[in-house]
Amino acid sequence: MKKVLLIGAGLIVAAGVTGVLAQKKWTITTVVKITGINWFNRMEEGVKEYAKTSGNNAVQTGPAQADPAQQLQLITDLVAKKPDAIAVVPMDPATLEPIFKTAMARGIKVITHEADNQKNTLYDIEAFDNVAFGANLNKRLEKCMGGEGKWTVFVGSLGSKTHNQWADGGIANAAKNSKMMLVDAKQETSDDADKAYEKAKEILTKYPDIKGFQGSASTDVAGIGRAVEEAGLNDKVCVFGTSLPSIAGKYIETGAVDGIGFWDPKDAGIVMNKVAQMVLEKKAIKDGMNLGIKGYEKVSVTKGPGMGKIIRGSAFVDVDKSNYKNFPF
Amino acid sequence: MSALTQTRVAAPVTFWKAFVRRPEFITLSLIVIFCVVVGIISPSFLSIKTVTDTLRASLTTGIFALGVLLVLAAGGIDVSFTAIAIFSLYATTRLTLAVYPDAPYLLMVVVGLGMGLLMGLLNGYLVYRFKVPSLIVTIGTQYLFSGFLKAFIGSRHIMDIPKGLDLAGTTALIQATTSGGARVSVSIQVLVLILAIVVTWFILNRTLMGRAVYAVGGSIPIAERLGFNVSTVILFVFGYAGLLAGLGGMLHGALNRQANPSDLVGSELNVIAAVVLGGARITGGTGTVLGTMLGVILIELLTNNLILMGVPSTWQKVVIGAIILLASAAFARRGKT
Repeated sequence: MKKVLLIGAGLIVAAGVTGVLAQKKWTITTVVKITGINWFNRMEEGVKEYAKTSGNNAVQTGPAQADPAQQLQLITDLVAKKPDAIAVVPMDPATLEPIFKTAMARGIKVITHEADNQKNTLYDIEAFDNVAFGANLNKRLEKCMGGEGKWTVFVGSLGSKTHNQWADGGIANAAKNSKMMLVDAKQETSDDADKAYEKAKEILTKYPDIKGFQGSASTDVAGIGRAVEEAGLNDKVCVFGTSLPSIAGKYIETGAVDGIGFWDPKDAGIVMNKVAQMVLEKKAIKDGMNLGIKGYEKVSVTKGPGMGKIIRGSAFVDVDKSNYKNFPF
Repeated sequence: MSALTQTRVAAPVTFWKAFVRRPEFITLSLIVIFCVVVGIISPSFLSIKTVTDTLRASLTTGIFALGVLLVLAAGGIDVSFTAIAIFSLYATTRLTLAVYPDAPYLLMVVVGLGMGLLMGLLNGYLVYRFKVPSLIVTIGTQYLFSGFLKAFIGSRHIMDIPKGLDLAGTTALIQATTSGGARVSVSIQVLVLILAIVVTWFILNRTLMGRAVYAVGGSIPIAERLGFNVSTVILFVFGYAGLLAGLGGMLHGALNRQANPSDLVGSELNVIAAVVLGGARITGGTGTVLGTMLGVILIELLTNNLILMGVPSTWQKVVIGAIILLASAAFARRGKT
């Protein structure tokens, strides 16, 4: 009986040892733009969840200030410690090119997020295609408007690439429906809610029958929402746009803003680490692959500007009054 | 210059002639022409709503412009007031939320004014102590203030502002519903602007400091010979501009019902343009409160009615730039005759 127990224990130990050998514990460090803000706190939740489920040593760090030089310093120190992989959300991609090159020369795998112009990276992860995201926002607006009426779209500035891509995606979607009438498109709001408010009031004066607004800067819907609310038009005018629950929540609650869209940094955090792990395990990421996270079930993989590739999901999060409280950032 | 104009008014010429000689006349004429043009293009412009909307838009710009007026009149320039304003608003909001969330608005304003004053005094000190052009100093401090704010005080957007601040922004002085069913209201904050106008007018026209400001702006050596203490004047105008910037910041927060550390900075040229369109010379020594207010109204009418006029967004900046140039040409012509 004793012997049997001993053998049994031996088997368990052996199984444990082979288990550990089969999966080496990787050290993956995620570096964000700035620590302490809601957005990256949410990303850290994802990194922690990944560490728990994968058993790898995954941690998140970042500079205390939104400063490209500080982020560079932090990554330089990190590269000296030689982790297996780094997953970076660059503040300024150009500043980080040399250190990423050095890191890769030393065998550290480099993954980036929100940097589709980064040359020295193996994989850059983008939550979605910007044009598709804009179209998705507009589809929700169109539905809210009952598929007809005058609508307009705001941008933070005419020079902002992403804002214009979102707006163009929306405009292209609405163009398919001849009853959707675009008026005075792409007014600039300088990413200032008060400017968005003034522009929205002007649009309301010019077109008393306006039925929809699409915002681009995260502050746009807050300004538009206030103008709509003050005019007592919460039920008559539909407002959708890119924003965050922490900014738009107040107006989503009153119904002045009908819905917002964004991507969940928690999921992006998990995906960055998963991709890093796959690279370390020498698994290629192919077009159409399922990364096992909502919104990244069928990713597109295209060639990036450098040697690396860009992985795009379709991870838009659609938020309205029913679910905005689930996203505390 | 202002003193000269006043003696002319007193001279035995007709009221009309005297009025035409004043720089404010050009600004007022431009406002009238603009309103007629927009009114023809878009009849919906001619409503009480335009008046209340323009007034609202003029509140913060107006407060900032009064501070800029003093600095310009004394021969300096300040481009840091937007950074001072947002710093005062954001830091006061964070402080209030952390220490005393139910603080009355008036207390918050006092704190914001204090911060603005300190930053303004720093500007003034740097300008006279190191004899650096005020443009360079205030470009530097603009970066300094807004950088310090985002690095050490916070970069997060605050939507849940203290109750006192929210209430100050939503309380209406006059509220009405027009026959068309649109709601119009005039914020209680208009009283703050009126107070700032009265105080600034009093300083410039009824105090020795006001005379000193114009004298320093006209010629520093002459001002010194007249016995004015130039460093005190410089400290005063920048301090006052900082004070008004702090006030404008609090007003912006109340009206906008949020505190966003990246607001305002970048809009300073609009305010400076308003003051210059009101007849103040960028080289100093001139400028009146009435002209400045008219300049503010002109700029706000301009920036808030281009959609109504049907100007596409890509062309709006072109139109604003062209009208500012046109107006300054009118001032230049007047200077020659």
